[in-house]
Amino acid sequence: MLKYLARPLLTATRSATRSLCSNLSGSSTKTTTTSPTSTTGGPLIEVNQAINGWADKLKAAGIQDTEFNIKCIVSHVLNRKFNTVPDDFTQLKFSSEQLANFERFLEARCARMPLQHIIGEWDFMDITLKTAPTVFIPRPETEEFVRLVIENYRQAKHVNMLEVGCGSGAMSLSVLHALPQVEATAIERSKVATVLAWENANLLGLQDRFKVHNHTMEEDNYMPTELQDKQYDLIISNPPYVKTEEFQFLHPEVVVYENLNALDGGSDGLRVARLVFDLACRHLRPGGKLWLELGNEHPPLVKTIMNLKYQGRLNFVGSYFDQYKRERFVQLEKV
Amino acid sequence: MLLRKLLTARSHHLLRRWASTDPLCFQNEKLQAYLESLRQEYYALRVNAAGNSSLYARLSRLDPVVNSLEKHRALQRNITPEQDLAAEKDEDMRALMLEENNVYAELLRKQEEAMLQELLALADHEDYPSLIFEVNAGAGGQEAMLFAQELYDMYTSYFEHMGWEYEQYAHETTDIGGLRYANLLVNDPEAYNWLRYEAGVHRVQRVPATEKSGRMHTSTASITVIPRPADVQVHIAERDLKIETKRASGAGGQHVNTTDSAVRIVHLPTGLAVESQSERSQLKNRELALKRLQAKLMQQQLESSEATKQATRKAQQGNLNRNEKIRTYNFVQDRVTDHRVQQGGTQHNLSGFLEGGQPLSDLIERLHLEQRKLKLVELIEEWQPPQKASDKS
Repeated sequence: MLKYLARPLLTATRSATRSLCSNLSGSSTKTTTTSPTSTTGGPLIEVNQAINGWADKLKAAGIQDTEFNIKCIVSHVLNRKFNTVPDDFTQLKFSSEQLANFERFLEARCARMPLQHIIGEWDFMDITLKTAPTVFIPRPETEEFVRLVIENYRQAKHVNMLEVGCGSGAMSLSVLHALPQVEATAIERSKVATVLAWENANLLGLQDRFKVHNHTMEEDNYMPTELQDKQYDLIISNPPYVKTEEFQFLHPEVVVYENLNALDGGSDGLRVARLVFDLACRHLRPGGKLWLELGNEHPPLVKTIMNLKYQGRLNFVGSYFDQYKRERFVQLEKV
Repeated sequence: MLLRKLLTARSHHLLRRWASTDPLCFQNEKLQAYLESLRQEYYALRVNAAGNSSLYARLSRLDPVVNSLEKHRALQRNITPEQDLAAEKDEDMRALMLEENNVYAELLRKQEEAMLQELLALADHEDYPSLIFEVNAGAGGQEAMLFAQELYDMYTSYFEHMGWEYEQYAHETTDIGGLRYANLLVNDPEAYNWLRYEAGVHRVQRVPATEKSGRMHTSTASITVIPRPADVQVHIAERDLKIETKRASGAGGQHVNTTDSAVRIVHLPTGLAVESQSERSQLKNRELALKRLQAKLMQQQLESSEATKQATRKAQQGNLNRNEKIRTYNFVQDRVTDHRVQQGGTQHNLSGFLEGGQPLSDLIERLHLEQRKLKLVELIEEWQPPQKASDKS
C-alpha cells in the first residue's frame, strides 16, 4: 500500500484508489479510538512542526488551497471539529500514530485523491455527510441551488418531493433538515450511493421523512414499480451534465476518483436531463415544479427544448445564477 | 429628623444610609428648590403636553416624583409646629402631640425614602431599546480565553435570569474551550441601565488548568457595553455586496472539485470587507461573513451616532472607565471583589456567583443604586434655580 502512497501523481488506477481508500478509512477509525490514550502517552509532535514542507509539496502536486487542505486533514487526524481548530495550530500536538496518519493522508492528497474522500465526511449547508469513494461529492454551487429551492418552499404547507439521482443524499437531506413540512423520496442508480444516502439519513435523524430506492432511470422505465403511479409537488435533480468532449479537461480529482456515471451527460450534457423531463411529465402533479442544476450553457438550451418539444406538458419558468454569477439553475412547471 | 442633620456628607459610602448624604438630605435647600421646580414643570406640562410624545414621556416620568412630593407635604402639614407645642399649657395634651409628631416623623422618613428612589430613577433614566454586549479575552493567553468563556456563560445566564432576549452576533472560540471574543445583542429596554456597570476589565486570579507547575496566574477579560439607540438600523442590500470566493473562474460545477470554502464580502458603499473561513461549507461561511458585516456596520453606525457618543462618554465617567479594573475573581480564596464598592465589596462562593443568578444580580443592583446616587448629587449640585426663585409654599 505504501508503494502507492509514495507514487507521485495520476498513475494510480481506479482499483488502486479503491483499495487505498478502504485502507485509509479503516485506519482513520482506528485513530479516533486510540487518540485519547495516545495523546497522553508516547512522544508528542507539535502540529506546526509536522506541517513543515507540506504546503510546497501540495503546490507541486498542483493543489491550490494548501492551507485549507492541511487544516482539514489536521482536524480530521485530531478528531476535532473543523471550526474549533485554530488557523495557527498553536498548542496542538500529534501522537506518533497521528503523525503517521497525517503524513499518509497528505501523500494521498498529493496523489490528488479528493479531500472529501480522505477525511470521509463533508459539510453541506447545515449538515455533515459521510462520503464514499465511488459516490459523487456535492459541490459548493449545489449549496446555492438548494438554498434557492428552500427559499421557494419555506412558506409551503406540505411538500411531497422527489429527487432523481440523490448520490450521498446531500440535496434531499438538507432540504429535509431545513423544512419540516417536506417529505422526500429519492431514486439512485448506484447501490453504494443508495446505501450511503440511507446511512446519512439515519445519522441525521431524518429517516422518517426520507425514502431511497435503488433504480436506474431509463426510457419508459422511469420509476421503480412501487412508485409507478405516484405524483409529486416538487422534483429536484442535479443530473450528470458534463459533455463527453469535456472529459479531457476535468481535474484529476474528478476524472480519476469520481464516479463518471454521476458526471457524463452525453454529447450535449443533457442526455440524463431529457430523461428527467420525461419523468417529470408523468410524475409531477399539475402545477408541480421541477428544479434542475445544470452546466453553464444549458438554461437557454432547456428553454428552447421546452418550447419545441414539451409544449402543453412542461413550461420554462425561469433560470437562476449560482454564486459565481453563472446561469446554471432552471425551474420548470408541469402544465 | 434633626438627628440626621448632624451626620456628615462624607458618609455617603454607607450605602444603606443614603438619606444622610448631605445634598440628598431633605433639609438641603437646593434639593427642596429642585423638587419644587420639578413640581412646577410637571403642572406646566400637564397643561401643554397635548399631542407631544416626548413631553408625555417626561410627564409620566415626573409623575411618581411629584406624587410622592405632594404626599410628603401633606404629611408635613400634620406635624404640630414647635411654637404650638410650646404654647400648649396642658401637659397631657402636649405629650399626645409629641407622640403624634413622632409617628408622623417616621412616616415622613419613609416617604422621603420613597421619593428619593423616584428621584434616582429620574436622574439616570436612559432609553435604549437594545445594546451590544462584548466579551473580549485580555492579557493572559489561553487562560484569559478560558476566563472569557466563563464570563460569557455567567452573563448569558444572567440575561436569562433577568428574562432578557439576546442573540449572538459574532463568536470565536478556541480549541480548549476558551473564547477569543463574542458579541451579543441584548434586546431589552431595561438592559442598558443594569449592564452599563459591568463594562470594564474583569480580572481573574487562579492556578489555570493550562498551568503545569501550579503557579497562580492573573489574567483579564474585558466587557464593553454599547447602547444602541432606537434609530440605528442596518439594512444591507444585495446589490451593495461583492462576494468573493477563490473559485471564480473555469467551468465550475461537476467539472472541478476544489474545496476552498473561504468567503470574502466587500460592502461597496462603505468599503468594509469581512472574511470567513472557519467552516468547511462555503454557504455557512457566507452566512457568517454576512453576520460579521452586519455587526461591523452596526458598530460603525453606532460610533457615528451622536446619541451613542454621549452615552458612551457618560458610561466612561468616574469608575466606569472601560479600561479600569472593576472586579477581581479570586479562585484561590473563593471570593469575588468589586473594586468600586468601598465597603463590603467582597463576597464568597465564587462558583455560585459565576452562575449569573441572584448574587450577580444583587451586586449589580447595589452598583446601580450607588451610581445613581452619585449622579443625582451631581445633578442637584449642578442645577441652577430658574431666575425667579421658586416660592416656598
